[in-house]
Amino acid sequence: MRIFENTNYNLVGSRKRGYAVSGILLLLSLGAILIRGLEIGIDFRGGMEFVVESDEILEVTEVRAVLTPVLETSPEIKTYSDVGAEGQDALLIRTASEGETSEVQMLIIQGISDAFPDSNPRVIKTDIVGPRFAEDLKRGSFYAVLGSLLVIFLYVMLRFEWRFGLGAVAALFHDVLITLGVFSLLQGIMPFSMQIDQAIIAAFLTIVGYSLNDTVVIFDRIREYTNLFKTEPYKTVVNRSVNTTLSRTFVTSGTTLLVVATLFMFGGEVLRGFSFALIIGIIIGTYSSVFVATPVVVELYNRSGSAKKAGQR
Amino acid sequence: MQGNGFKVGAVVFFLALSAWYLFPSLQGISLNNRLEEMGQEERTDYERENYSRIESIKEKSLNLGLDLQGGMHTTMEVGLRELLVQLAAERRDDAFDQVLATADERSQEEGISLIDAFVEEFERRDPDARLSRYFRSETITRRSDNADVTDYLRTQGTDAIERAMQVIRNRVDRYGVTEPSIQTQGSRRIVVELPGIDDPERVRRLLKGTARLEFRLMADPGELNSSLQRIINYYEVDVAAESDSVEVPAEEDIAEEADTSFDVSQLLAETEGLDDVGNPLLDVLIPAGQGSVVFGEVSVQDTATFNMLMADPDVQAMLPRDIELLYDANPSGTGGAEYYPVLAVNMNAELTGDVITDARSDFDQTTNQPLVDMEMNSEGARVWSRLTGANVGKNVAIVLDRVVYSYPTVIGQISGGRSQITGLASQEESDDIVTVLKSGALPAPVEIVEERTVGPSLGIVARRSGFMSLLVGLSIVALFMIVYYRGGGMVADLALLINIIFILGILAGFNATLTLPGIAGIVLTIGMAVDANVLIFERVREEQSTGKTLKASIDGGYGKALSAIVDANITTFFVGIILYSFGVGPIQGFAVTLMAGILASLFSAIVFTRIIFDYVVIGRRGIVNFG
Repeated sequence: MRIFENTNYNLVGSRKRGYAVSGILLLLSLGAILIRGLEIGIDFRGGMEFVVESDEILEVTEVRAVLTPVLETSPEIKTYSDVGAEGQDALLIRTASEGETSEVQMLIIQGISDAFPDSNPRVIKTDIVGPRFAEDLKRGSFYAVLGSLLVIFLYVMLRFEWRFGLGAVAALFHDVLITLGVFSLLQGIMPFSMQIDQAIIAAFLTIVGYSLNDTVVIFDRIREYTNLFKTEPYKTVVNRSVNTTLSRTFVTSGTTLLVVATLFMFGGEVLRGFSFALIIGIIIGTYSSVFVATPVVVELYNRSGSAKKAGQR
Repeated sequence: MQGNGFKVGAVVFFLALSAWYLFPSLQGISLNNRLEEMGQEERTDYERENYSRIESIKEKSLNLGLDLQGGMHTTMEVGLRELLVQLAAERRDDAFDQVLATADERSQEEGISLIDAFVEEFERRDPDARLSRYFRSETITRRSDNADVTDYLRTQGTDAIERAMQVIRNRVDRYGVTEPSIQTQGSRRIVVELPGIDDPERVRRLLKGTARLEFRLMADPGELNSSLQRIINYYEVDVAAESDSVEVPAEEDIAEEADTSFDVSQLLAETEGLDDVGNPLLDVLIPAGQGSVVFGEVSVQDTATFNMLMADPDVQAMLPRDIELLYDANPSGTGGAEYYPVLAVNMNAELTGDVITDARSDFDQTTNQPLVDMEMNSEGARVWSRLTGANVGKNVAIVLDRVVYSYPTVIGQISGGRSQITGLASQEESDDIVTVLKSGALPAPVEIVEERTVGPSLGIVARRSGFMSLLVGLSIVALFMIVYYRGGGMVADLALLINIIFILGILAGFNATLTLPGIAGIVLTIGMAVDANVLIFERVREEQSTGKTLKASIDGGYGKALSAIVDANITTFFVGIILYSFGVGPIQGFAVTLMAGILASLFSAIVFTRIIFDYVVIGRRGIVNFG
């Protein structure tokens, strides 16, 4: 079976269309992030999360009404699927309370069992992050993201030339920003937690790695063809490179998307936000290798190339 | 084919190595299955007979993370701030407190060591000031320079963390957890991982308990009573004055009256008569009657409000000299309507826990209530005997970590240094107190800054979903490869299988822990692992389409794809390294499998598949169809 065999799309020629699409996506994402903001998880702002399992199905709104006076603050409550022994749903209760864990846990259990006597609530999972620890996690993640981008830029600069480095990093920013935008737009709409936490940062860095992987394969071919077809115009060489690697680009994206979708479906609640970020990131990352990273290289080449010619005359 | 001897050797070697490391895990799985089939009795017998073998299998098996088997993960921070305060002791002054507060803030914001921040902040404030003003020891005198003192403080800091770790290890060992892990993280944190914990609340108490046991005298009932009425009046006046200033003379009357004779019910009646505003203190406190060391009772929900009302410096000044209020460990009433007695005890302890030489959990012979029996050393026994002798008829409070467990009335002098803690809720509690008393006191208070617990049932669900995604992901990709690349795809699938054996082998070999994010990493690598083969196969197809022979095409495909494969994987590997060094816990698990996956897939795709193609195409002159 073969797909995209011997294609000859004028991908470089239609890069303006790509710019328009990317531009709109970026604007939408930036707008969403600025207006709707991002939901920050307890990893980075501190707080407590309890997953409470019960014998009867509890309504989110009712439980919130019961717990608000008890905790003296309105907790965020979501359903937490497929955890119970019989497959029934549990509730994820998130509160910013800074009291003793045992005390808050007792208040929650007491509050629920007082209001719903037959529910027999029990805590099956807790995540507690103190403000000080959250601060450290935030700092760690910041350095991780910054460090990755820097290392990647340096590596691509060393192995290729500066234009490719810039192209790759531009594509990475593009991918991460749009994925963040999708998170900002869909938060609260999707039935699972889309908060930015440690796992999401890991997902972003994986997206960065993946998108780069994709980009590097195209760059590698451009490097090879530039030496092979010296007489042809740069644009044609780049276009041929993108076309010959197109089949590989789709096959690899396809297999990776398949496994990530598997994770999304079967990996359970804990991995849902993480795998969702990967799904979005891989789609955007594949697109950006062809329509962002490569065109940036072409544009940069055109500019510095024409400057050189002007200098010679 | 001759040139492949080394490659074949490498594949066989790594496969054997992985099998060697994975063998105990397989044994462990079959052992578990066998144990589950056995009856209870048979099982206990079997476990006893094969104890050392079972332990060795468990130790060498691939570790499962707490998210996959259930358990508790806590990160604790040793209170270096409190340690500095303790070290400075009575030499501490306002300047010290200010420097410490700024340093604490800075160390949090910038993530630097508190001791370094303290020294820097101190020297910035006054470059000529000497740290030895605050700290003394055998080696530190008034003349010691700041560098020496800094070294001394650093040593004290690391010592405190080491001691805290030892104490926590003792406590965990006494509690009895299979395969606990206790490690330091950075300069002031201790990470404790306890698999299979079913009572996190109890563990929390056990880990945090500083076990500061104190024997303290209590307030004089008469004095306490007049303070109580003064404080009630203070709030009375306060509220009434705000609501209506005309009634001030009447307030004074009451205050005077209250000063001489005190009766709560009378005061309450008069209060109601005056206005409906009420007394904020009496809203939360049920005052105790006369002649008691009890200040009053506070409902569970109101403790925060009560603490806030009592924190007022003016109110503090109204308490009898050197007296502070502490809560009783045991509430009266049950089920939501619990009231905690507030007790007035001396600020200074007559005796502390250091004199305790032995502690034992026991039951009261008449009431059958749990209690802790303690024995003191000779020094403690002497003080205890003098203390009880001089205070017959009065109460002695037995205070553990600033909570009063009991305050028995002294009936007669006690010699021999025996004492008891009563008023315990359960035998569990008495056992835990014994554990904490016997494993030594923590050098400085510890705080739980992060905690994650996963119940055992949830662990099973996570294990199942992790395994499921692995299986489904693997099958889908394998199927796709065969459909798309035919014969080549089959070879790639074989490589994929070997790849997974390698990843698990690497994890077992490096004693890494497999977590749910780790499984996600493996699943993700499956998708990306075939990429190397995809790159090669696409190249082979390109070469074939130019009319080259199969052998030449395979040669060309491998040769030309190599640079792209290496470049693409190295960058992802870098990301793995960075994730590993900055991430914690589960993220590190993900990073480890991601890196292991990249190494394994590079090897299996470049070396292993090449051997197969060489063998089939060159060795046997066979044909491989690349679809």
